[in-house]
Amino acid sequence: MKKLIFSLLLLPTIGFSQGFQVNFQGQTQQGMGGAGSAYAQDAAILFFNPGGAAFQHGNEISVGLTPTFSKITFLEDNTNISANTNSPMGTPFTAYGLFEIKEESRLKLGMAIYTPFGSTVQWEDDWVGRFAITRLQLLSIFFQPTVSVRITDKIGLGAGFVYSYGKVNLQKDLPLQDAEGNYGSAELSGTGNGFGFNLGLYAQPTEHVNVGVTYRSQVNMKLQEGNADFTVPSSLEDNFPDGAFTSSIPLPSVFTLAIAVKPNDKLTIAFDGNYVDWNSYDTLAFDYENNTSSLEDTKSARNYVSSISARLGGEYKFTEKITARLGFAYAISPVQNGYVTPETPDNNRFNYTTGVGYKLNDKLVFNASFLFTQVKRKDTNLETGLSGQFKTHVFAPGFAITYKL
Amino acid sequence: MKGVSLLIILTTIGALFGCKPKIEVPEASMGDVNAAKFIAIGTNNTGGYSNDALNYTGQQYNYAAILATQFSMVTEIGFKQPLVASGSVGVNTNGQSALKLGYKTDCKGVTSLSPIRIGASGDLTQFNSVAGQGPFNNLGVPELSALDLNTAGYGNSANGAGNYNAYFSRFASNEATASVLSDALAQNPTFFTFMVGDFDILTYAKSGGTSGPIPPASGSEGVGFDGSINAAISALTGNGARGVIANIPDVTKYPYFTTIPYNGLTLDADKAETLNAIYNPLGISFVVGENAFTIDDPSEPFGVRKMVEGELVLLSVPLDSVKCFGMGSAFPLRDEFVLTLDEIAELQTKTDEYNAVLLTTSQTYGLGFANVKALLAGLNNGIVYNGVSMSSTFVSGGAFSLDGIQLNPNGQALLANLFIEAINTSYRARIPFANVNAYSGIIFP
Repeated sequence: MKKLIFSLLLLPTIGFSQGFQVNFQGQTQQGMGGAGSAYAQDAAILFFNPGGAAFQHGNEISVGLTPTFSKITFLEDNTNISANTNSPMGTPFTAYGLFEIKEESRLKLGMAIYTPFGSTVQWEDDWVGRFAITRLQLLSIFFQPTVSVRITDKIGLGAGFVYSYGKVNLQKDLPLQDAEGNYGSAELSGTGNGFGFNLGLYAQPTEHVNVGVTYRSQVNMKLQEGNADFTVPSSLEDNFPDGAFTSSIPLPSVFTLAIAVKPNDKLTIAFDGNYVDWNSYDTLAFDYENNTSSLEDTKSARNYVSSISARLGGEYKFTEKITARLGFAYAISPVQNGYVTPETPDNNRFNYTTGVGYKLNDKLVFNASFLFTQVKRKDTNLETGLSGQFKTHVFAPGFAITYKL
Repeated sequence: MKGVSLLIILTTIGALFGCKPKIEVPEASMGDVNAAKFIAIGTNNTGGYSNDALNYTGQQYNYAAILATQFSMVTEIGFKQPLVASGSVGVNTNGQSALKLGYKTDCKGVTSLSPIRIGASGDLTQFNSVAGQGPFNNLGVPELSALDLNTAGYGNSANGAGNYNAYFSRFASNEATASVLSDALAQNPTFFTFMVGDFDILTYAKSGGTSGPIPPASGSEGVGFDGSINAAISALTGNGARGVIANIPDVTKYPYFTTIPYNGLTLDADKAETLNAIYNPLGISFVVGENAFTIDDPSEPFGVRKMVEGELVLLSVPLDSVKCFGMGSAFPLRDEFVLTLDEIAELQTKTDEYNAVLLTTSQTYGLGFANVKALLAGLNNGIVYNGVSMSSTFVSGGAFSLDGIQLNPNGQALLANLFIEAINTSYRARIPFANVNAYSGIIFP
């Protein structure tokens, strides 16, 4: 019967421009446009630059949450029919712990736990792209145990091992109608994991300038025991056997050069430049255990291209207790024309961020941030033929509590 | 609890700002088209004939009705059709009901999904006249010949069976005197679609070339294609009406002609041996595996030969006879079930000649032109519409109805969009296209 094309998935998801990269991490960095790989000021440096962790004083635990509100509107070119997403709030969270073995040691141990993608895109019922995708839910959690060493008073090196665990659930309608007019549907779900590492070099050549170089490796998320569940008219059930499938998604490596400048005690300006090797994401393949003439293994071209992004942020300490931050980022989309999909209508974008910090006492610090981004993209997808304009708004207020032991 | 209150505040801000992004919708326009009186003239696809019968669903979702729906998004129009009753099983002139997909057990006891009739017989009451509800915007008449566009009394049952068109009879304003054209002109159309000529080609094709010659491309009104078309378009545009003329696809690519392969005769060693015993003396041999069917051919010394690549077996062939009773092997397929290379060439020549007339006419009268031939050629190669693959393949292709000739609502919506494209191009209009996937395709049990 009908040949299925699972043009589904996956990266990057909304709210995480270029997916893996500008994920919601430390609130101080988030308030500064996501820059901070050369500015070690809290335990979030474990993610941004493991080499900087060794320059932190004492022990520290920090937890944060960034409720993410994303809305996508689509206007189909030919029909003038529009559709909206009803996506639930995303809840990316972070937890960082930084410990020293003994006081003023050159060696620091750290643990970073974060959710670089973890959102749900839910299109409204019966939308024009229902046979491309109706819902995509991604949940992931990364664990990064880290070692950081201050090899001289001015240079730190760090290395983290990354273990990632993810869950995916994606759904679409199938153009197979029963006598009551109901369409069939497909639901693919599963869990996967992957491994990687995070390396960083952090240096303080002068009192006023810090620099950082980091490399986060590719993480190949492998979905081993996926389950494909098809709802089809009864006469077609043999053609669409429920069963296992496998797939994998490469999360790209990121190379970062960063600098932070402190002209005086109150002001810090930070800049990060990233090179994201999206070239690795050229094909999305699904391998079904039970193939039939209607259900063949699929390979969808993604053809992402490697891209760069730039992040600039400033921080000003008004008083000993109150700090304000401002930043923006510009990211070039890895998604080429012809490959834009409804779950990731990505494009070049500006992120605008702001943030505040409040230091209650020497032990307790509160930080909050706010991110806004708007993405517009017009495209005709080569695989599904879906043609139109996407417009995405993302609002992400976040906050974190840091406790210094 | 400071953190919690902060979270509540920030979340509230996020929710407030998180309103839907707006994208401006381009303004729609009818351009130079006045659709106040829209008339559709055509044959089977226009008249709502699908699944091998005139039926309510086919009428609801023919391209003309879909066009009217799209027009009504831009301007106020009325569109009335001579509908059959909504619960009816449908009817054709063989007295049969419409087809649906169901289970059928063949002569070998194998049960499989197959087109079956909805009812034991067609709903003949639907041939009763509904003219009283007229006049109608959709004047699509199944089995209409281009030469009969202006034949007075074309629906006159008094002429006796076979000498009138029962599909027209049921809604002609006056059975004895009306022609399709006169019923159109009586309404003073401001805009029309015109999709005629395909049935003249199909009549020959569906009969395996046994129906007699295809009407000539040139000749006066009622005799030749060009004279008949020219007279009709000249009359329709007399009051300044605008319109779109459609051309004719390559009908030999319809599933009705492509589903059964010419070499679909699969033989085991025993059967091959048996057939060789019969046929070897005639110079015909069979092998184990795939073989071409045998067909009647009076030009051959023994009146029989094997089919050759490129020749077509029609879906009208009785499959049980083929599977179990030696049809197409021991007993050659009769001419009515086969299109030979010569017949296919004749179909293509006539289609080209007709299409040249249709194109010239559209240019002469400054009308829009819907290239249905190109649309169907695209479908032959397969298209993807918003994630849905469609093709000319029988059943699974999703665009043709179960008769393998007429389109289903998905295919009709593609056709409607072709007309909209022609209107938008020719008349500076911006009519939104129909969402093809919102219409039904094949219904599976």
